[in-house]
Amino acid sequence: MTTQQFLTSAWTWNPAVLVFSGVALAAYAWAFGVNRRIVFLIAGLGVFVLTLVSPLNALAEGYLFSAHMLQHILLLLIVPALLLMSLPRCISLGSRSSLLANPLVGWFAGVGAMWLWHARPLCNAAVSSQFVNVLQISSLLLLGGIFWRQILAPREEERISPAGAVLYLFSACMACSVLGIVITFSPVSVCSIYAQPPADYLGILNLIQSDWGITPDKDQQIGGLLMWVPMCLVYLSGIIAQLARWFAHPVATAPVTDKAL
Amino acid sequence: MNVQSANAALVFGDVVKVFNPQSPQARAIFDLTMVVIVVMVVIFAVVVGIVMYALLGFPRWREGERDPEQGEGNKTLEIVWTAIPLAIVTILFVLSARTMGISDPPPPPKPDIVVIGHQWWWEARYTNSGAVVANEIHIPVGKPVALRLDAVDVLHEFWVPELGRKITTVPGHPNHLWIQSDKPATYLGFCTEFCGTQHAWMHFLLVAQPQAEFEKWQLAQLAPGPAPSSENAQKGLALFEQMSCVNCHTIKGTSASAQIGPDLTHFASRKQLGAGIAANTPENLRRWLRDPQQVKVGAKMPNFKFTDEQVTQLADYIETLK
Amino acid sequence: MNGNTSITATVAHLLTPAERQHWKLAWLSTVDHKRIGILYMLTGLVFFVIAGIEALLIRLQLMVPNNTLLGPDTYNWMFTMHGTTMIFLVAMPVLFGIMNYILPLQIGARDMAFPRLNALGVWLVPFGGILLHFSFLAGGPPAVGWFAYTPLSETPYSSQLGVDYWAISLFVLGIGSVSAGINFIVTVLTQRAPGMTLRRLPLFTWMIFCNSFLVILALPILNAGLAMLLIDRLLQGQIFLPFGGGSAILWQHIFWAFGHPEVYIVAIPAFAILSEVIPVFSRKPIFGHEFVAASTVIIVFLSLLVWAHHMFTVGLGHTIDLFFVAASVLIAVPTGVKLFNWSATMVGGRVRFTTPMLFCVTALLQFLIGGLTGVSHAVAPLDWQTKNSYYLVAHFHNIFVGLIVFAILGAIYYWFPKMSGRMMSERIGKWVFWLMTIGFNLTFMIQHVLGLAGMPRRTFTYPDLPGWTWMNMVSTIGAFFMTAASILFVWDLVISFFRGKPAGDNPWNAWTLEWATTSPPPHENFDALPPIHSRRPLWDYANPDRPDPVVPVGGAIDTFRPDKIKAGVITFIISEAGFFGVLILAYLLYNATAQSGPGAQQLDVLKTTIFSVCLFASSFTIWRSEVGLRANKQGKMKAWLLATIVLGGVFIVGQGLEYWSLFQSGVTVGLDLFATTFFTLTGFHGLHVCFGLLALLVVLGVALTGYSKNGHLPALGAVGYYWHFVDVVWVFVFSIVYLWPLLR
Repeated sequence: MTTQQFLTSAWTWNPAVLVFSGVALAAYAWAFGVNRRIVFLIAGLGVFVLTLVSPLNALAEGYLFSAHMLQHILLLLIVPALLLMSLPRCISLGSRSSLLANPLVGWFAGVGAMWLWHARPLCNAAVSSQFVNVLQISSLLLLGGIFWRQILAPREEERISPAGAVLYLFSACMACSVLGIVITFSPVSVCSIYAQPPADYLGILNLIQSDWGITPDKDQQIGGLLMWVPMCLVYLSGIIAQLARWFAHPVATAPVTDKAL
Repeated sequence: MNVQSANAALVFGDVVKVFNPQSPQARAIFDLTMVVIVVMVVIFAVVVGIVMYALLGFPRWREGERDPEQGEGNKTLEIVWTAIPLAIVTILFVLSARTMGISDPPPPPKPDIVVIGHQWWWEARYTNSGAVVANEIHIPVGKPVALRLDAVDVLHEFWVPELGRKITTVPGHPNHLWIQSDKPATYLGFCTEFCGTQHAWMHFLLVAQPQAEFEKWQLAQLAPGPAPSSENAQKGLALFEQMSCVNCHTIKGTSASAQIGPDLTHFASRKQLGAGIAANTPENLRRWLRDPQQVKVGAKMPNFKFTDEQVTQLADYIETLK
Repeated sequence: MNGNTSITATVAHLLTPAERQHWKLAWLSTVDHKRIGILYMLTGLVFFVIAGIEALLIRLQLMVPNNTLLGPDTYNWMFTMHGTTMIFLVAMPVLFGIMNYILPLQIGARDMAFPRLNALGVWLVPFGGILLHFSFLAGGPPAVGWFAYTPLSETPYSSQLGVDYWAISLFVLGIGSVSAGINFIVTVLTQRAPGMTLRRLPLFTWMIFCNSFLVILALPILNAGLAMLLIDRLLQGQIFLPFGGGSAILWQHIFWAFGHPEVYIVAIPAFAILSEVIPVFSRKPIFGHEFVAASTVIIVFLSLLVWAHHMFTVGLGHTIDLFFVAASVLIAVPTGVKLFNWSATMVGGRVRFTTPMLFCVTALLQFLIGGLTGVSHAVAPLDWQTKNSYYLVAHFHNIFVGLIVFAILGAIYYWFPKMSGRMMSERIGKWVFWLMTIGFNLTFMIQHVLGLAGMPRRTFTYPDLPGWTWMNMVSTIGAFFMTAASILFVWDLVISFFRGKPAGDNPWNAWTLEWATTSPPPHENFDALPPIHSRRPLWDYANPDRPDPVVPVGGAIDTFRPDKIKAGVITFIISEAGFFGVLILAYLLYNATAQSGPGAQQLDVLKTTIFSVCLFASSFTIWRSEVGLRANKQGKMKAWLLATIVLGGVFIVGQGLEYWSLFQSGVTVGLDLFATTFFTLTGFHGLHVCFGLLALLVVLGVALTGYSKNGHLPALGAVGYYWHFVDVVWVFVFSIVYLWPLLR
């Protein structure tokens, strides 16, 4: 199989994903009407659908750890962020004091989702079991939502302060970097299911290993590096946005107190 | 091109070796270098232009004068000078990725030559023929040759500027390198990773020859050392075998077979002595045997305090090892 | 100050009349940030002379081919000492000195947050410097280069004590730098004058604030590496020795994970100086303040992500190289933003060509060159060619000298009037400037070509190859110009200190708060402060008709002002986390696969679990103690505190017993990689527990004297944080070392 054949044929038209996206879009339009922010929703659902039906998903199913990692990043960091940004600015996601609104909870949700799902048994189970896979996808979306909620909640007063957000994202990057470093340089396989050649049901093993030159060793390196560098660049984009928010949009109306956060 | 400028180009290439690529690998890097240089020059000119305009295009400050209009900034400009460099570095990234593939292709299953870094000399083992040489590596012209790089003590680095990338030799972490020369030539190679006292004198010669000459050279290297003919040389061999020389060196065809120091079987065929510190002349060889530490301080060969007679005998023998 | 002040009065001005009686003691025992700043700078100047002489010797040796002025070993000592000294004992102390002097003044503070810690920091510099140079008397200095690559720096290849002195000295200096970094962060957070919100910070202070995070994150990484190197050297470990199973490359990762941020640790203060000086002498505020400020944060962030670009030739593989090409070229973007903004600041201004301005504009241009060649190193294939050649030497000297030294000279010409009350000579200053600029470019520009001609760095001599000889000669001639400039500069410093024109409060008509007080400032810095509504309070004050737009106060973060001691301990904990992070990663790397020989299975998990429970329980007891303090129940507080100490003691005794039984069964530090990494990790944790116990005992002692009667004992909260941290580290260590093998 050539790369082109693979890219055109390996789409998995998962009805659940499509139905979910359609319903979400309809529900949004019904609840909030068609406004400017629906663009974010469409983008978010677009990434969501592409992540789960495109050849990326086929690669992640037993072939490439790195493809799995890319899915992971998209589902945890990109999709929830876009969905949160699509919400109209008047929506409240609950009071500041609730558990889910605690930045510490958000931080551990985001970072924990990364660490937990890369424990070897869980990582393997997510590939081999359909049920665990669904569980993984929904938990990533949910935990990602909790992580980003601290920064992207529709209402300004439900977000943490910009400088706090910079530290929040910075430390999250550090925590994920450490895991990325471990995965990149680990002499053992993190997700052992990818180390053995899969039941080559698509007939693309040869394409991957000789045409693309991705051996299992390299595959794990790419996975670790994806978590280390590009993922940190996502956080960096968040940091840039937060700095812009801090410097450009003074909240003159907010009460001034000398108290700590 | 007239003769003079051709001459100038030759001299320039002789001096600035990196701009004188002699292999497809080096040429790929060279092409990218040219792109980067153009980018660098343009950016340099733009910034210097802005600075010059700022310094010269406005009246100087004068004592007591009212300060000028206090500007604040300009968002559009900021976006422009963020976006343009971002685009440039993205292009550079793509070009790097491409060039990396061309200038450093993946290694074959089996290397042609294993190059081993020692403090402070290079060993080369030809895997197909079994030839073992030191500080002078021969390759056939116009053919990619696969090297594996090892080290036995500390880090060293293998670099022939005209032929492409440099790569570190790391103990316990073999590296790979494709090397090729499009024309017959002798190149000077360097160790570029600091490796101790005599890091400066860890040169090697890379000799690219036509295939037939290369084969001939390789056959010659495989032959045992010629038996000494003169009486002095015979005494030299006897001395060599009974002194501690045999603890470090190999001369094929004799009892000397240790692999700590350079293989001397065809020592006299080499152009340099002591990894580039001196030309391989009888005079220099005698100096070396009299006291290696005088020639190359810190070299791992101690001063054996040979008598003048012993030096002559040893030198007479070693010089026959063509 | 008026024009009639005599020389003695100027000297005396730095001291109060009472202090003049015992001026030596006044300087040695000072905790005043201004004097500490000057001590930092003077220490740096002394080492600058030493490292400068070393540089000159290097250039003399390379003046002609096959030179025999210096032997190979002497030459190798020289460049090792030159690099180490210039970075750790010149660039960092001098910049820390400038920051120490200026930063509190700029935010309208009376002093740094922790004046005594500040004094500790400054005295660690000569201490570390003397340790390093003591190696000259102890068998010879290190000859391994400033990054001391293993295995060359290991005992089999460097058996002299030089490397040990080098490592211990850097360890000490690292502790000093971290203490300074903590101090800067906490000072900015807690000591700002009323009205000086975080968004109103002048750019200099803002950048130092950002930079200090880099200091506390990066230096502990080096210290962890140095600790492991010393364990290899002194306790026969094999962490970085390939022939014992260790990894030579791991050292490079650790060193550059510190080393690349380190470059920015000294470069960002230079950026900060440029951002301060260029606007003042263009008579305009900085162009795009927000963008310059934000780009600093981005640089800090990215600089932690790119270290592997120092290792493109080591053979990490294209996969890894490519990711680091991407991250490395990205740094060019925020850096470019800075360059463009500085240039744009001058456009439309009324430029004053004073000496500080000349140095800063030249620094901008030299940095442009260094930055562009830096991009060429980030592009891996080019780096494969030019790495470790004189091209690289030229590149980083453009940063270290072209940017940093020029910026430092600019800063000294700019702030000397504030520090001494006297102007430096403009006439001599211009001479210094031109000699330095010509000398620098003669010395280093040609080295780009020399590198492309193939000359490797760190070679004590070279053969007479075409072109090499005259290029090296040019370079050496340039070095003499730089020497002349340096001598003239020191002369200018001395003569201006005694005979300079009186400066007045604000000789440059600058706009930040350090110029709102006398020159030199009184001990308490300010009598009164102008109102602060923008980033340029003195501009607003001088130009009531056209003040800067008010920077609004938005949200709690702008006025964020945490408790001083807690902020200090938390920043300290952040830096400690980096230290333990490296040790844990090293342990993981070597124990990811089960090794033959003694390993984790040798450990008595049950016993250790019991001791660990004691340690974890002590987190609870110290929390109860704090609750007791808050409720002002003295007895409860002391009892729970005592319980904490006992539990911590039980843990330490338990660990000691474990070590003893391991030693009994032959498991010593140098036995194998498991043993080395195990003892390193748990040993350093144990050491931290011991420090925590000491601190707890001190707190208990203070409490017993009745000092805490009114329910006020801030140290308890601080030590409490630290104690929780030590416990949390043990949660990780215990899970990884003891529990994880059970799962395998």
